[in-house]
Amino acid sequence: MKRHIFRAILAVALAVLLTSLVLIMGVLYGYFQDRITAELARSTAYIAHGLETQGMDYLTGRLPGDSRVTWVAADGTVLFDNREDPAGMENHAEREEIRDALLLGHGTAARYSDTLSQKTVYYALRLADGSVLRLADTQYSVWTLVLQAMQPVALVTLLAVCLALWLAGRVSRRLVEPINAIDPDAPGETAYEELAPLVGKLRSQNRRIQRQVEDLRRQREEFSAITENMSEGLLVIDRETRVLSYNTAALRLLGAEGPVKEAESVLALDREAGFRRCVEEALAGRRWEELLEREETCRRVLASPVEQDGDLTGAVLLVLDVTEKEQREALRREFTANVSHELKTPLTAILGTAEILENGMVRPEDIQHFAGNIHREAQRLIGLVNDIIKLSRLDEGGYAAQWETVDLYQQAGDVLDQLAPAADKKQVSMTLEGDCALVRGVPQIIEEIVYNLCDNAVAYNRQGGSVTVTVSAAAEGARIAVRDTGAGIPKEAQDRVFERFYRVDKSHSGGGTGLGLSIVKHGAAYLGARVELDSEPGRGSTFTVTFPPAGT
Amino acid sequence: MRNRFDEQLKRLHVELIQMGALCEDAISAAAEALLKGDASLAETAIEKEREIDQAEREVENLCLKLLLQQQPVARDLREISAALKMISDLERIGDQAADIAELTEHVRMPDESRAPHIGDMARSVIRMVTDSVDSFVKRDLTLARSVCDADDQVDALFERVKKELIALISADAAYGEQSLDLLMVAKYLERIGDHATNVAEWVEYSITGVHPSNN
Repeated sequence: MKRHIFRAILAVALAVLLTSLVLIMGVLYGYFQDRITAELARSTAYIAHGLETQGMDYLTGRLPGDSRVTWVAADGTVLFDNREDPAGMENHAEREEIRDALLLGHGTAARYSDTLSQKTVYYALRLADGSVLRLADTQYSVWTLVLQAMQPVALVTLLAVCLALWLAGRVSRRLVEPINAIDPDAPGETAYEELAPLVGKLRSQNRRIQRQVEDLRRQREEFSAITENMSEGLLVIDRETRVLSYNTAALRLLGAEGPVKEAESVLALDREAGFRRCVEEALAGRRWEELLEREETCRRVLASPVEQDGDLTGAVLLVLDVTEKEQREALRREFTANVSHELKTPLTAILGTAEILENGMVRPEDIQHFAGNIHREAQRLIGLVNDIIKLSRLDEGGYAAQWETVDLYQQAGDVLDQLAPAADKKQVSMTLEGDCALVRGVPQIIEEIVYNLCDNAVAYNRQGGSVTVTVSAAAEGARIAVRDTGAGIPKEAQDRVFERFYRVDKSHSGGGTGLGLSIVKHGAAYLGARVELDSEPGRGSTFTVTFPPAGT
Repeated sequence: MRNRFDEQLKRLHVELIQMGALCEDAISAAAEALLKGDASLAETAIEKEREIDQAEREVENLCLKLLLQQQPVARDLREISAALKMISDLERIGDQAADIAELTEHVRMPDESRAPHIGDMARSVIRMVTDSVDSFVKRDLTLARSVCDADDQVDALFERVKKELIALISADAAYGEQSLDLLMVAKYLERIGDHATNVAEWVEYSITGVHPSNN
């Protein structure tokens, strides 16, 4: 812009300079010619006066000035010329200035010489006797004048151009300065009112851009807040497998170290065959799913192609941690297998015994014994089914029973009474310590918990051992502890005893369903209570259930 | 121009990762086939070897195209020439994995008590291959150097396996043929270890500009 202004100013200055030079030259030329003519007229009048008073002698004498003087008779014959021989000169009657003088008393004319470099100005005056006196003077033509004046004119022009250059530079700088002073990011007031709409527009656009940037930033933050809080790994890749977007969960699940470098390939994060397959298939436009198993963890990768206007532009990979799910699945499979096995064992015994009875292969006195077997196995079966029903009810949270306040001490006393025959049989002594402790809960579940704990304590006790039940009420919640003097539970099995059908003694010789502690654990969880196990192999175990404070 | 060059360099990187991953797959499958006697895994290893050959040709083409069309200098040139060298080592790893897989068809592993170290050797070698590819992917100099150190362990393991196999033959000549096959397997494993070392050395070269063998 500065350059444009500079050029414009310079061009205008030069144009004005040249035009004025030309015009001045023209005007001056005309002025000079007028002056010469006037001078000639005065000289002519002077010489005419001399001629009229002194005659021919005046002409041949010394004439003032250096003009050419010609005396022409009324018929046009040249009588005298101070430059040429009058005899050799043609008739001058037809010359413009002479004709005018003969007619009007005086006449002027200007004629270019052959070379055009000179112009001759003539002035003719009619004398009293009718003859005409003519004076001629030469004047240089415009071109000659211009040529002669070239040097000073060039000098002046040069000076003028320099001045114009300097001024144009200064002026253009001054003009542009306020425009340069406008800050595009924060346009203030401007010195030019012509720029005011532009500046206003700039301001409003700036505001709009700022708003949009803010919106974008918020959206991105929202997006990253969502993806960062996802427990699933999310990866967006382009067609060249480069990572466009990812969350930390993805890095964690793939076991990669962050942060991901710019334009890093997703294969640099994980190059397991299954993962590669997912990426390949998704980039070929197909949805794909793979299970990646590595050491302890198990992840499922879901890959979907991303299409835009029918073109494949990349893929989205979702990485899920399915370790727990797979473990649960395994547990469930194990449970189903266990249940079938546990149900089948008593049924097989019943079936066998019944078959023997049916075939009459039993002596009448043994029938009672066999029937007893059937009875016992059927009871075991019912116990098992009951336990399973209880567990599945706890699983589903299907206990619709009312919550009531229960006295743990009284509950424990009832249970011990129930178990007295079994304890007598094993010669296990049972003691109940502590006093009244109130808890809130579902009475049936509390009974199940206490019963199962005490039942186990008796069943897995040694002959002649002891069971001590301690009930205490404390600020952090009522608590019941059941201590036995049995074989104890090895360290590695302590976590597993609460699993369904898990038995420390693999031979299944102890009886029971293998579900008791599982019911305790789930029941306690249902009531919000905590179960702790403290055991030392060979010295017995203590199960402690701590209920939440009754007030809550 | 530079942009396009960068694109192609990135593609080279990705293709090398893929080729490295194929090698890992091949050697793992071959080792599994050997240790578990699973014929289908041997098939997988042989199939992977073909894919590796294919990948080698592709990477080679890409490298030559880059060299001719872009005439890279300095670091870029180093990276591409290292890639060219690396793929031939990776391809050899694939070949040897396939060779092991072919041998597993008629070799039975003796029980662990008689030749306990061939399994260790296979595991160490797989670790080396994984680490060398990892060092390339992550441009990890220390990991690359650790691969070179691990090669000494593998060489020592090879010596032990050899002694074990000699003991096996002298105890019972009936083991002769099998022991020789196992010796071949051990030799292949040892060679794979060497190639993994080479790969790691080229990784070091592409990072530092100095090949470790020049020191």
